[in-house]
Amino acid sequence: MNKKVEARARAEKMKQLRKEHKVTVKRTQGLLKEQKRIHRDICLTIRDTPKTIPEIAEVMEMPSHEVLWHITALKKYDVVAEEGMCGEYVLYTRAEEEA
Amino acid sequence: MSESTNPKKKEEKDEEVRIGVYTCYCGGNISDAVDCEHVKKVMTDLPNVVVSRTDMSMCSDAGQALIEKDIKEKGINRVIVGACAPSLHEQTFRGTVARAGLNPYLYHHVGLREQDSWVSHGDYRGATCKALNLMTAGVAKTRLLAPLEPIRLEAEKHALVIGGGVAGLRTALDTARRGIQVTLIEKSPFLGGRMAQLGKVFPTDEDACATLDKLIQKVASHPKVTIFTQAEVTGVSGYVGDYQIKILQQSRGINNDIAEAVLDADMPKVPDAFNYGLTERKVIYKAYPGCYPPTPAVDWAHYNGEPIIVNGQPTIFYNKPKNFDLKVGAIVVATGFKPYEPRAGEYGYKELPEVVTLPQLIRYLELDKTTRTLTWAGRAVNDIALIHCVGSRDTEGVHEPQADGQVNNYCSRVCCTATLHMANELRERFPDTNIYDFYEDIRTYGRGHETYYQKALEGMVRFLRYRGIERPEVVAAPEGDTHPVLVRAKDSLSQGEEMEVAADLVVLAVGMMPTQVDELVQMLKISRGVDRFLAEVHPKLRPVETAVNGVILAGTAQGPMTIQESVAAASAAAVKVAVLLGQGEVQLDPFVAYVDPEKCDGNGACIEVCKYEDAIKMETVTINGKDVKRAVVTPANCAGCGGCVSACPNRAIDIQGWTLDQYDAMVDAIALDLWDLMEVPA
Amino acid sequence: MMEKLLNTLKIDALVVGGGIAGMQSALDLADQGYQVAMVEKEASIGGKMIALSKVFPTLDCCSCITTPKMSAVAHHENIHLFTYCEVQSVEENTNGFKTTVLQKPRYLDADACTGCRMCEYVCPIDLRNPFDLNMGATRAVRVPFSTAVPQIAVLDMENCILCGKCEKACPVGCIDFSQQPKLFTLQTDTIILATGFETTKRDAKKEYGAGELHNVIDGLMMERLLAPTGPYGRIIRPGDGKEPDSIAYVQCAGSRDKTLGVEYCSRVCCMYAIKQAMLISGSLPLADITIYYMDIRAFGKGYEQFFQNARAMGVEFVRGKVAKITQDDHQNPVVRFESTDNGSKVSERTHDLVVLSTGMLPSYDTKPVYRIPAGDDGFVYVPEPNSAPCVTDREGIFVTGAAAGPMDIVDSIVMAGAAAMESAAYMSEKQDQAEIHEQAEESEMEVAHV
Repeated sequence: MNKKVEARARAEKMKQLRKEHKVTVKRTQGLLKEQKRIHRDICLTIRDTPKTIPEIAEVMEMPSHEVLWHITALKKYDVVAEEGMCGEYVLYTRAEEEA
Repeated sequence: MSESTNPKKKEEKDEEVRIGVYTCYCGGNISDAVDCEHVKKVMTDLPNVVVSRTDMSMCSDAGQALIEKDIKEKGINRVIVGACAPSLHEQTFRGTVARAGLNPYLYHHVGLREQDSWVSHGDYRGATCKALNLMTAGVAKTRLLAPLEPIRLEAEKHALVIGGGVAGLRTALDTARRGIQVTLIEKSPFLGGRMAQLGKVFPTDEDACATLDKLIQKVASHPKVTIFTQAEVTGVSGYVGDYQIKILQQSRGINNDIAEAVLDADMPKVPDAFNYGLTERKVIYKAYPGCYPPTPAVDWAHYNGEPIIVNGQPTIFYNKPKNFDLKVGAIVVATGFKPYEPRAGEYGYKELPEVVTLPQLIRYLELDKTTRTLTWAGRAVNDIALIHCVGSRDTEGVHEPQADGQVNNYCSRVCCTATLHMANELRERFPDTNIYDFYEDIRTYGRGHETYYQKALEGMVRFLRYRGIERPEVVAAPEGDTHPVLVRAKDSLSQGEEMEVAADLVVLAVGMMPTQVDELVQMLKISRGVDRFLAEVHPKLRPVETAVNGVILAGTAQGPMTIQESVAAASAAAVKVAVLLGQGEVQLDPFVAYVDPEKCDGNGACIEVCKYEDAIKMETVTINGKDVKRAVVTPANCAGCGGCVSACPNRAIDIQGWTLDQYDAMVDAIALDLWDLMEVPA
Repeated sequence: MMEKLLNTLKIDALVVGGGIAGMQSALDLADQGYQVAMVEKEASIGGKMIALSKVFPTLDCCSCITTPKMSAVAHHENIHLFTYCEVQSVEENTNGFKTTVLQKPRYLDADACTGCRMCEYVCPIDLRNPFDLNMGATRAVRVPFSTAVPQIAVLDMENCILCGKCEKACPVGCIDFSQQPKLFTLQTDTIILATGFETTKRDAKKEYGAGELHNVIDGLMMERLLAPTGPYGRIIRPGDGKEPDSIAYVQCAGSRDKTLGVEYCSRVCCMYAIKQAMLISGSLPLADITIYYMDIRAFGKGYEQFFQNARAMGVEFVRGKVAKITQDDHQNPVVRFESTDNGSKVSERTHDLVVLSTGMLPSYDTKPVYRIPAGDDGFVYVPEPNSAPCVTDREGIFVTGAAAGPMDIVDSIVMAGAAAMESAAYMSEKQDQAEIHEQAEESEMEVAHV
């Protein structure tokens, strides 16, 4: 019972806060949605064969510098890993799922 | 506050030794050359090792926190870190283990960077194997570490500052302002050093002597400062907090009664070094009007002992040098620089009378500040050539070495701005002169310096740029030429064309050289860098300290600097003195000899080899009711050199923290062939 | 905890800025027994230096110099650290200076946070990481960087969707979305300004691509690429991830440039370019490195020798001003320059990556809060640089490091010692005067009694 009350109070508080920060929350939510789509697409693109930044950019029809940034983010948080080089470019692949 | 549980801890000797081993990547400095993860793995299996870890930088707060956590949570009671040289971060990690409640001497540091990764040029397997040996040896020593207490000594709240130029004066003033007694000694009879020889100085165009005088007045009137001119250090002993200094001071020779009259008297003259030999002065002299102390001094090196008529009285002057001792806690070396003296023939120097150095020209212009026509050697000067980098940026094998075989391969830092400052001054005072500036790179780096370059460009100074190895050439002009000298250079600003400038005066922008202080360097046991200037421990970690505790550097003794930089360095030196002596106590590492009275048989071999005063002596002690002689160490006087250790036939002496048993263990480990443990792919 | 500290402790000196200069000044004061408060506007101390790779002329890794100093500051019993704080106003009173400081909200309980980064791992949004000059990624809630001091997270409310995941993940329950900014005051005898510098913006110069060419980066970005903790973990160009084969440096990109209103030399760019060139040739031994320059200013101790080593290693030095940078169809920057060593011929060369050796700019105007004017160059005005390089024209307030003009690390550290000296001496003399004054009053009273 108590827990429920707490949870409700918390939900109410968060709702209130989201209202207070309406503008930034909305903008960031939009950003996040787009980001999630891109990350999913990148992961799909390199799922079967590791690819370089220009290769991914070509498949995704996205500027290569933006692809690099997303890859950097995915790599930092262990979603994507390097897998050798292809000429002067690094090949990226899905990171192995943690056990 | 410090717990002195030393004896108790010794009783608890049987406590289990639990070692934490930490191998630092050093941000790639080590990990690029050594497989740190492999080192970590191998260390895990050594006896007594409880944890073995790596980190990108162990010395970071997070790295240190790792060690603290292991001490607290895993009961680690000995710590070893393999990282940079101990001189950089041994103290850092001793602090870490102390914070976690462990005796700071239960820590051992292995220099994996300087001794391994930085010197193993690309041999990854070799470097990794060497790291295994070094670390295994370190662990072997760590296993035998015992808690120690630092030696605490009362510190003399008194500093000696050597050198009465702007840096020495500034250090003296700042140290005194912090309530510490200061003795300032100056070799020459007058304070002010090189700065007194300058006219207007950049970046403010203030009068150097006026600024200097203000500083001298403050120093001279400060109740905590004692000044000795014509004084030199002749002996140094002791250690930080308690240095004994022997000083030799020449007589001034003149008392105040005749101070005025003596200057008017007739007497022999000598070239005036203050004016770089441009003028002569009497053998009894004042360096410059308004100098300090104001009393004239006898130039003993040139006074021939003959009577001089003063106030109608023939007077003979006697030098009665005085020796006296000082006890100080710290020593600041502010011995300054000297301008590079070009060798005869270098750019025509000393062969062509029209070739002078920049310091000479500064003095020349100071001698007559009002004249609006520039003459040199009786001729009107219209065309002036300035040449940069004389005695700086020389290349070994390309440029002719100096008498001692050395070349100055460093940049002297101040000459570019000083030269352009002069160029502008010449253009302003003598608007009809044409100025040609021969340079390789213009280095007006400091705040306000670039303005002088801009001004010179706008002021129609003609710049000619030569390449490093193709320096300008100065030759006498052919008979009947309009000018006495010609300066030739390939000017890369004019498509590499060979240019010839006819000049009335050639000014050499000479660099800075360290003052000759060989004896002082030996007495203080400090060191010099490859540039022969005095060396600091590390330019960023300890930029004004020498490797000798309590000996600190200030100003251009350490390297070329502007006035502003010398002053800042002098204040930074004073702050180190204040930190060192302010608390009235200094702490020394306890790495000194210790005699085991049970093993000592009183043969005295140790005393014979000991080079330090009162460090080890025989005392009569009573053992089992019998009076016997035993060697006893006075820790404060022992330098921990280990001479006595090797002399003792009974293995009765050890250096604490570096015992023979520890060495044996290290040597055994270093000698192990660990190639089998190298399963790293090549 | 902070309130208790502020109410009970007499603080002697305030150091504004926790970069290398501020840290050194604070340590040099604290080691003399003075109580020091350090106020830093970022969430971690370390300043610009902590983001660098290795430093000239010793090539020590930068962390080896900075992180121990950061740690020493954090653990010193006489230093009280206030991060993520900004000075709002300074009032002079009989006891010295009363400074009002704003504690910006981290949106978490700083005393409770352990820096475990659980919050960061669960945060759903990836943001450009300012610490990596926007090349790398971070999250809306994060520990600023791996060696940050203090190791406390900070939440970026501007980029937070308030999903509450971090709050749930935090093992100590320290997230507080409704935290508000707080004001507090510090009473001190002296203030040391160590507010540092900014660098020329990459888009400052239209001729150099106005920041729109992705393979034209600035000096600090290259520092991050070279740092072991850098965004990519290797040297690749931000435009498309290519490992560069030919790298060029454009010197004086933002210094000695009247069109940008910066006439002065930034003092560090020659040396950092040379240093980076050496580090690159270590990582990419086959890469060609070219430095376009006007004058090489290797003036410090050991610097000229460092420059000559780089030359001997094969770094190409081309004297000439770069007029324009464009890019070809493969995103390769094309450098148009006038070589003064080659008969002032205008040539073009294509490189894989161009680094602008951006200069140092003033970062903070001390006039509004401290009533201390700036010099013509915008840095803090020092009336008597030759006799008192750290003394501002307001008594009791001192300046150090790059706040007083472009300066390298070595010179900043030395000047930091000097600033500590000046402020310590100022305090001793004030103390002495107070004692003399007291004694005089006492003797006057005695006279009155007689």
